[in-house]
Formats: sequence, structure tokens, C-alpha cells
Amino acid sequence: MLKLSTNKASPQARPRQPADKSPSGLSIVWREIVQDKIALVSFILVAAVTLFVYVTSLLLDQDQIVRVDLFALKQPPSSEFLLGTDQGGRDIFGQLIIGTRNSLTIAIVVTLLTGIIGVLVGLVSGYFGGTIDNLLMRVVDFFMILPFLMVVIAFITAVPNYGITAFTLIMTAFLWLGIAKLIRSKALQEREMEYVQASRTSGSSHLKIMFVQVLPNLSSIIIVTMTLNLAANIGLESGLSFLGFGFPESTPSLGTLVSYARNPQTLEMRWWIWLPASILILVLMLCINNVGQAVKRAADARQRKG
Amino acid sequence: MWRTVARRTTIMIPQIVLLSILVFLLARSMPGDALTGLIDPSIDPAAIEEQRVKLGLNNPWYEQYWDWVTNALQGDLGQSFRFKMPVTDLIGERIANTFWLSLATLVITYLIAIPLGIISGRYNDTLADRMITGYTYIGFAAPLFIFALLMLWAFGFHFGWFPTGGSVAPGMEPGSLSYIMSKLYHLLLPATSMALITTVTTVQLLRSEIIDTKHKDFVHTARAKGASESRIYNRHILRNSLLPIAAFFGYEITGLIGGTVFIESIFSYPGMGELFLSSISVRDFTVVTSLVLLYGIAAILGALLSDLILSMVDPRIRIK
Amino acid sequence: MRKTIRSKSWLLLTLSLFLVLAACTSNNGGNDPSPSPSGSPDASASPSPSASAPPAANEDGLFNISDFSNKKTNQGEPLKGGSLNYGLVSDTPFAGTLNYVFYSGTPDSEVLGWFDEGMLTWDASYVYTNDGPATYEASEDGKTFTFTIRDNVNWHDGQPVTAEDWLFAHEVIGHPDYDGPRYDSNMTNVVGMEEYHDGKADTISGIEVLGDKQLRITYKQATPSLITGGIWTYPLAKHIFGDIPVAKMSASPEVREKPIGIGPYKVESIVPGESVVYAKNADYWRGEPALDKVVLKVVNPSNVVQELKSGGIDIVGDFPIDQFPDNADMSNVEWLGVVDRAYTYIGFKLGKWDAEAGQVVPDANAKMADVNLRKAMWMAVDNDLVGKRFYNGLRWNATTLIPPSHPEYHDASNPGVTYDPEGAKKLLEEAGYKLNGDFRTKPDGSELTINFISMTGGEIAEPLAQYYVQSWKDIGLNVNLEMLEFNTFYNRVGDTGEDDPSVDVYQAAWSVGIDVDPAGLYGRDALYNFSRFASEENDRLIAEGISEKAFDKAYRLEVYKEWQELMVKEIPVFPTLYRSALAPVNNRVLNYAIGDGTGMYVYQIAVSQDQPFVAE
Repeated sequence: MLKLSTNKASPQARPRQPADKSPSGLSIVWREIVQDKIALVSFILVAAVTLFVYVTSLLLDQDQIVRVDLFALKQPPSSEFLLGTDQGGRDIFGQLIIGTRNSLTIAIVVTLLTGIIGVLVGLVSGYFGGTIDNLLMRVVDFFMILPFLMVVIAFITAVPNYGITAFTLIMTAFLWLGIAKLIRSKALQEREMEYVQASRTSGSSHLKIMFVQVLPNLSSIIIVTMTLNLAANIGLESGLSFLGFGFPESTPSLGTLVSYARNPQTLEMRWWIWLPASILILVLMLCINNVGQAVKRAADARQRKG
Repeated sequence: MWRTVARRTTIMIPQIVLLSILVFLLARSMPGDALTGLIDPSIDPAAIEEQRVKLGLNNPWYEQYWDWVTNALQGDLGQSFRFKMPVTDLIGERIANTFWLSLATLVITYLIAIPLGIISGRYNDTLADRMITGYTYIGFAAPLFIFALLMLWAFGFHFGWFPTGGSVAPGMEPGSLSYIMSKLYHLLLPATSMALITTVTTVQLLRSEIIDTKHKDFVHTARAKGASESRIYNRHILRNSLLPIAAFFGYEITGLIGGTVFIESIFSYPGMGELFLSSISVRDFTVVTSLVLLYGIAAILGALLSDLILSMVDPRIRIK
Repeated sequence: MRKTIRSKSWLLLTLSLFLVLAACTSNNGGNDPSPSPSGSPDASASPSPSASAPPAANEDGLFNISDFSNKKTNQGEPLKGGSLNYGLVSDTPFAGTLNYVFYSGTPDSEVLGWFDEGMLTWDASYVYTNDGPATYEASEDGKTFTFTIRDNVNWHDGQPVTAEDWLFAHEVIGHPDYDGPRYDSNMTNVVGMEEYHDGKADTISGIEVLGDKQLRITYKQATPSLITGGIWTYPLAKHIFGDIPVAKMSASPEVREKPIGIGPYKVESIVPGESVVYAKNADYWRGEPALDKVVLKVVNPSNVVQELKSGGIDIVGDFPIDQFPDNADMSNVEWLGVVDRAYTYIGFKLGKWDAEAGQVVPDANAKMADVNLRKAMWMAVDNDLVGKRFYNGLRWNATTLIPPSHPEYHDASNPGVTYDPEGAKKLLEEAGYKLNGDFRTKPDGSELTINFISMTGGEIAEPLAQYYVQSWKDIGLNVNLEMLEFNTFYNRVGDTGEDDPSVDVYQAAWSVGIDVDPAGLYGRDALYNFSRFASEENDRLIAEGISEKAFDKAYRLEVYKEWQELMVKEIPVFPTLYRSALAPVNNRVLNYAIGDGTGMYVYQIAVSQDQPFVAE
């Protein structure tokens, strides 16, 4: 799957005209989201789910949720268990909340880490150009051609003491490349702009130009990419967990819950175990994508609505 | 152009060498080896150790790597421990299955994408366009594995319209018509499941290309000259809009690589992805290494192909 | 693998809790009673309880394996000819090493079971009989065996099976270039085999060809185990393999594409890894097989129920029992069941492996060295409840280390250690493990954290392991759980002798051989004695069990009874669950049975109508 295997996610990443530069990135983004009803609803939904999940998981007794109860195996939904129980007698609703929190956390952390690394490398590479650029892009190119899914699975199998930290780091190691490449191409364009030349002549330091002048101009494209990546990372985590190469087995996650559906009896007779998680993944990814698209429209003046 | 191809191929070589070292090291550092599964008290551990020595599993990694590379250069990828057959033969069996699966997926992808993209682009902002756009949004968000699981359940199990595993019905004479039909029948559900998801990027791409092209000067010129609307679409707009789609083709291949792993594992389809996952779990190192390398080469070639097509259809773009 | 991988699996999606197949203690080499149709006869086949009625669950939804018959109730008259579909349940393709000399793993042996068979068959107590393709006679001292192959036993190509072929199989397995897993303790027990293997001799001095159809083999050691699976009984067709270098045999087309055997069906076509079509071998030595055709195909565990319901397969080799309770009322099949030769257990690390000396070194200072601690951990877990709740009674509380699949040797009067959490707390208290907050400390007052590892695979694996952790927590023990996939698990338990010192307790399963001798799993010099337990009493009993005196069955029974008692007293490991094996069979199938010594043969399997029954 394209969106599972790379970060270059869809045609939106195709180079187009550089971003509109007049109002600041964030305010356009916000205006666009508010104006686009679907995006607004999506944004509210994502925010609500996130808030709900993080707040509720603080209130829930996690030990109680992951406690195996031999007398409550595979119970259908009831007033006691809102979404029934799994094959270990554990409350699905509680697992869904903790699982969503875990999946979201991983996705957010990975998105942020890859964003930071990608932006830094891309900026440095694009701004300085020349040998540094050449060198960095060689490295990026090499990693980009790796068959992502296979290498990640091989890594996950090879790592001793595999756990959540290792999982996050492995994902990060392979996912910053797309952003780096994108930011580099933008930075290359910015470098030629007059304002950069002007700052140079007036004696500003490279660091200052890069982070105070160039970076803000790229903010909208960074937000777009990171938003779309967040959705892709949720999908990636759940996909890997589904194949058995994601979260450790005893940690609830959205992918783990869906993977229970690989047992045909569960798939057929116990929808409450896997369906809520599947729907949640779908809704989250759809909404985050919608927000991302709206943001993207903001960055692309020609398509801006009203 | 040939110079470009030659140059790109030269760059490819160090990339593949690096990839092979990386994969080789990874495979060797996985806990256990192909003999771990052989836990049988009646076998003298010394005999197992003897096998390890014979297979070279106790040598330092660079020696193993060197042995492997020298053989690989002569076309010998080694012996699969589990299947007790040369890796080349083993992968040969599977590569055909995965190839047909990918081809079917590509065909279905374009069969869906081109009409939908055209309708959506030509009649944009109509109800049809909104529905198609809605589908692409959902398809873009839906993880392949969840969708495939639902398809398997609905059409494989619930309605029983399609086989739920394997690549061909048993007992068919290879090459006969019924053999080919059976192969196709086994391909259809997995390929459609994957195509319905992968196609959405192409639909989106085609749609926006058509909308872009619609407003180009030459279209206005053609229209001013009195060309019929269908002629404008078929001759002018479509031709120009399909070019980027063609260029995107190479990347589709890269996308398929990840997709087939999920699809083959969900539909128990004996292809390379399925072989990869099971070889990882039984630590069949030679197979794992060779598969990742092949996938890597396929991805590199896909990217090269895309760039070439791009440079051919659009002379302004020179590939470097 | 769930996850199979973890299918295994990836997976994925597994048959059973653990990869038992790979952890097989069978001391019978390739002699695995083929999981497909039972290959052995016996007059004293167990009487089947009446009825075609499906074994009913009691009001709690529980089943009992003793309610299952191991023989199909015949309905209707056999059809002349017809074809049968056999489902090989596996989440990976079969490897396709289709020869008893070379194969490894159950999937291949299920494929083999239809077209090849050994020279000897065995009865319900796993002792070789004289009704197979060959007969045998043992010498007075029990070391020399003379085998006579029946005159009408031929290879599928019409060539007679000769004593030469049987010798050839030994020569190939003993050859230094041989790459299969059969060069084991049975082989080295043949006089002259080790010299031949090391290249010091050109021939195996202990094997003598007496004539076309007669062979004599002399063994170094006569033990009761020899006649329960200790003999290599599969010949290798010398007229076919004679010219192929040994190193190339396992990859040759003669093994992989057009394999040959002597069984009732011959291989007609193979789709590698996926399916095999067999045709009748009209020349079969027992008589003409009833079916014209048998089709074997690999069925993923997640599809097996659907295939059974739709009649896509008539019988399966190994049904994933966790899917049984939901499908117990399937209308078009009859469920057969037997007690599986396997048990699940929890082991305690009590020492290390000394590779140099080739034996275990118990460590008196090991964290789990106190037997009271181990006993308390056994008392804390309610395996009866586990069996009932997780497996609907199809796995049940285990008591000793010889499972009831060996009814004579299993000591049913030994209750093991029974569930008693209060008693466990008391025991710990008395042994000095005092509560300090939530958890207990060691008798010297230092912190006690126990590391427990368990294998992934199947959706019950993880909740089951969690349940044990909880139960131990309830008596005040702080146990950390780590779920590992198969390779990592055995790597850390110590399958190469390098035990991971951080592992204290582990959960695994053994599938036991047809002979009860526990030396390979619990002996002092056994690498697979993962708990690294050893004691002089244990050494003595294990040696007694295969001594000459043990040819007297009553004595042998007594020895193993004592051994089971010793293990319940010392608790280097404790068994948790015994298991059952289930096989659904389409109603149209006749003359089918599972298990050993049923008196029914593969060639008799027939169908009563052309089309399989379909579930309502």
C-alpha cells in the first residue's frame, strides 16, 4: 500500500507552486478549517476522540482492564461490558480506550520525531546545497529505495528486547526521509529568493536565516505533511500490529484489536472485538486526512475556497 | 537516454550492495536460526551442531557474507533450509504468483481509475464527482488490511463466491485452459481488494490533472475553433492528463510491494510476501535475504521506470 | 501467529497454543504415526461408544474427550471409487520434502501418510506388530532383529521393495553429506553406524542383507524402547536414488516433484506447497484401495471451518480445537477425538548447561531452587478452571509428566499438586517468603522478582500467560511476563545450551513420543532438559526404565510410577494441561479412524456418495 509503505503519500506531495506567503501559515490553516464544514467536523471529531481517550484513560483502572477474567470470556456487549469482552475476559471498551491512546501516542511521537529530523535535515541540505546536500541526499536516497515494510519487519525481528521504545525508534528511522526530501526541495527554492539574499548581505547568520526567515515560510507545507503523516502513521502502526510486528502482544492497540479478527470465529460471531477498533481507525484516518486536505488547500491558493 | 539508464544503473550497484549487507546483518542477528525448530531430544545436539558447521552458520558474518555474495553473483542464492531446495527455484515458484497478482491488481486499478477519474474530472462538482471524491477519500483513509479482511469475509466466506486461499485449484493440468481460469479465479478477489484501495490515488491524480488541463490555453483554443466537446476530452485533455498517470506507474509498483505482503497473508496466497513472513518466522535466512534484495531491486527499477517515462512524455524534464 | 506467524506466523493464526510439532520428543524418528489416516492395526481396538450423535456439551458448555469416539460411524454403503478431499491445516505451505528419509515437520508427514508407509506397524500400546509390510523376529538377547518383507510389497513403479532398499536408507541417513534430521539416537544405536558416519568404515557392520527380502540389524543396546519406535522402518528406493549424490537427494525431483512410495495411493500431481492429487495404487499389497482419487490441499486454520461446512474438504489432519466449541453442532460432519500425546507445562530454571561435559549443572543458589516456592506456584494456579473456561474441557488439568495418551503408564492415582491458593500462601509464609507491601521477599529479606517467558501463538496464549501471572500475584509473587515468538523463546530457554540467565520460569509444551522413556527431556545429559534439573534418584529411575529388567512390563510400570511421583515431589517443571486432538469427518466418509492401533487402514477409507454433505 502506498500509504503504508512510504511517506510520500499521494499526489499531494507533488511539487507545485511554492506556498502562498502573505498571511502566516497557521492563521490560513485555521481559517481554512473553519470555513470548510467537513474539515471542521473532522477536526472536532479528532479532537474530541483524542481528548476523550486521554482523559478517560487517566480515570480508568488499567490493571483492572488488562486483568484476565476466566468467568467473563467472549461476552457480548452488556451493561457491565459496554462493548463485550475478548478471549481473555477483558473489557473491550477499556482496551479500545487504552489501545487508541497507545496507537495515537505512538503515531504522534513518530510524526513529531520524523518531522523534527526531516525538517532539520531538509533545511540544512536545501539551504546550504553543495556537498552537504549531496551527501545527505545520497543517504536519504539510499533509505528511500529500501523495501520499507520488509526492512522494518526484519529490524523488528532482529532487535533484542523488543518493546515500544524500539518500535518507535525503528519507525522513526525510516519515516523522516520523505519530509526531508520535501523540505529540501522547498528550501532550495527559498534560498534563491530575494529576502534570503538580502539577509545574507545584511550579515545575518545562516542559523538565523534558516530558522527565523525560511522556516516560517515553510510552515504551512510542514503542517500539511505532518497532518497527512499522522494519519499514515496510525495506519502503519495498526498494519504492523496486525501482521504481528507492531506493539508487543500484551499492550492493547488498535491494530492488536483488529488482528483478533484473523480468527474466523471472532470475525463472524464476535464483531464487538474487532469492529469498533476498525471503525475507529477508519474514522481517525479519514478525519485527519480531511483536515490535512483542507490545510493543503490553504497552502495552495488557487484551490482555496471562498 | 541510454546514458541516463547506464548512469542510473551504476548508482544502483552500490545501493544494492549496501542493502545486501544491511539485510544480511539483520537476518544473522535475529534470535535463533533455521535449526532452532529442530528441538527433538532423540537427535544428538552434536549432530545439530554438525549441521550448523556444515551450513556455515558458525562462521563470522563477513565470511558468510562473502560466501553468499560470490555464489549470488553466479546466480546461486543458496539453499532454503526449510524447503530443502535452491532459493532461486523456490522464489521462482512464488515470484510468478506475486507477479500475476500484481499484474491483475494493476489492470484492475486502471480499469477503475481511468473511467472514474475522467467522469470526476470532466463533470467536476456534480453529484457523480462528489460521490467519486467521497470514495477516494474513504479509500485513501481505509487501511488495506481492514478492507481486505472485510472483502475476504463477505465474498469469500459469507457469499462463498470466491476461493479463500491458494493460487490454483488442485489437480489442474498446468497450461490447460481450466488451469489458467482457475488461476484467474483465485486472483480475482485479492487483486480486486487491493485495487479498490490503491486506485484512489490514481483517481485523485487523474481528476486534478483533468481539471488543470481543462483550463489550459490550448483547450480554450480548441473549443474556440469549434471542436466538439467529446473530441476535446478524448484528443486533447485525456492525452495530456494521462501522461502523469503513466509516470506514476513506477511508483505504483513500489506501492504494490508492501500491499502484496498484507494481501497474500490475509488471502493465504502463496506468493513472495507470504514466503517472506513465514521465512522470517522459521529463520530461513537465505530466503529472507534474497527476497528483500529482490524487493529492493524491484523498487529501484520502478523508480527508474517512472523517471524514464516522465522524461519521455515530457521533454522539459531531464532526469539527472 | 495469532499472529503467527506469530503465523507463524506467521503467523499467523495458529492451530494450537504452541509449536508442538517442532518440539517433538518422539524418539521414533520418521516413525511418527502419520496424523492422517491411522496406519496401524490392532485387534483390540477400543470399542466406540454407540452412536453417530455428536458428543454433547453438558449444561456448562463443557466437553469431555472420553465422550468422543476415534472411529467414524459408517453411514450408508461404500461407493465403488469416488474421491476424497483431505485438508492439511497449516498457515504455511508444506515444505514439499516428500520422503520419510528427508522430511521435517508435520505438514510434510501428512502428505507422506497417503502414499508411503513404514515396514512395521504398531498396536494401541505402540509396540511393533507383524501385520505390516514386513515381519520381524528378535533374538534372545533382544539386540538382533531379522526382518522379512512380504513378497507382494512393491514400489509404485512396480519394482519390488528389497532388503537392499532398507539398508540403503540407513546408509543415506548415516552418510556425512546427509542433510535431514534423522541421524539420531536410533541410528547411532545400530552397530557400526557411528564408524560409518565418521568415515572409518565403508559399510555399516551391524546391518546384513540376508536375501532379496530379508534383512538383519544388530543394535548396541537392547531396551524396551527399541520395539516401540526405535527401529528405522522406511526403505529408500535404491533403483531411483542410487545414482544421486547424497547431498543432492533432498532437493531432487525424485523427492519433491514425483515422489515414490509403497502406500495405497500414488502421487499424481503436485502444486508445490499447496496441494497434491493422489491416484489409486491398484497394486497395493493389502488389496485394492477403495477410492479412485484423493485430493490433499493446504487449508489455512482460519478457513478450515468454512471448508468443512461447504464440503470443500471431507477430513482434516489436525483441527484447531479452539474453534471446536463454536462449531460442535456442524451438521455434515462427525467429530472424532483422541487424547493427544502432548502436555503443556511450566518449567523452572534450576541450573545451567555444561556444554563441555554435555550435562546439566544444577545450581543450588538459583532463584527458583527452593522447592517450596515451586510448589506454591503450582498450588496457585487453577488449571482445572483454565481447561474448562479457555478450552471448554478439551484441555484439562494435568497431574503428572506422562500424559493419559499412554494409559498404562500414566499414573491416574497420582493427583499431582492440587489447586489451593491459601495453602500456597501458607507454604510461602512458612518457607520464609514474607509479605512486604504487595509482594513477598526472599527468605533473606531481599526483593524477589520472577521473570516468566511464554510463547506467542494462538489467541489464547497471551491471556493464559497473563492468568498465571495474576494467580501468582494473588499469592504475593511479583512475576514479570514476556511474550516471545517461537525462535526467541527457545533461544532464551537454551536450545543451544546457552541459557539466558534472566529467565526464571517458562511455559512450553512437549509432544511426547510413542515410547515413554523420559531420558531425552529430563535426563542429566539431555540438552532439552531445559529446567536443568538433575538428581541421583532421577538418574537411577530413568536408567531403570530402559534396563533389561524393564522388559518385564510390570517392573517398568512400577519404575515410571515412581518417576512420576519423584517429579511431583521435586517439581523441576509441572504439567499444566493435557490436550485432546479432534478430527471432523464428513458424513459420507467410511472406515475412517484416528489414533493408533485402530485396526483400520488407509486403503479401506471409502465414501458413500459422490458429493460431500453440506452443512445446513
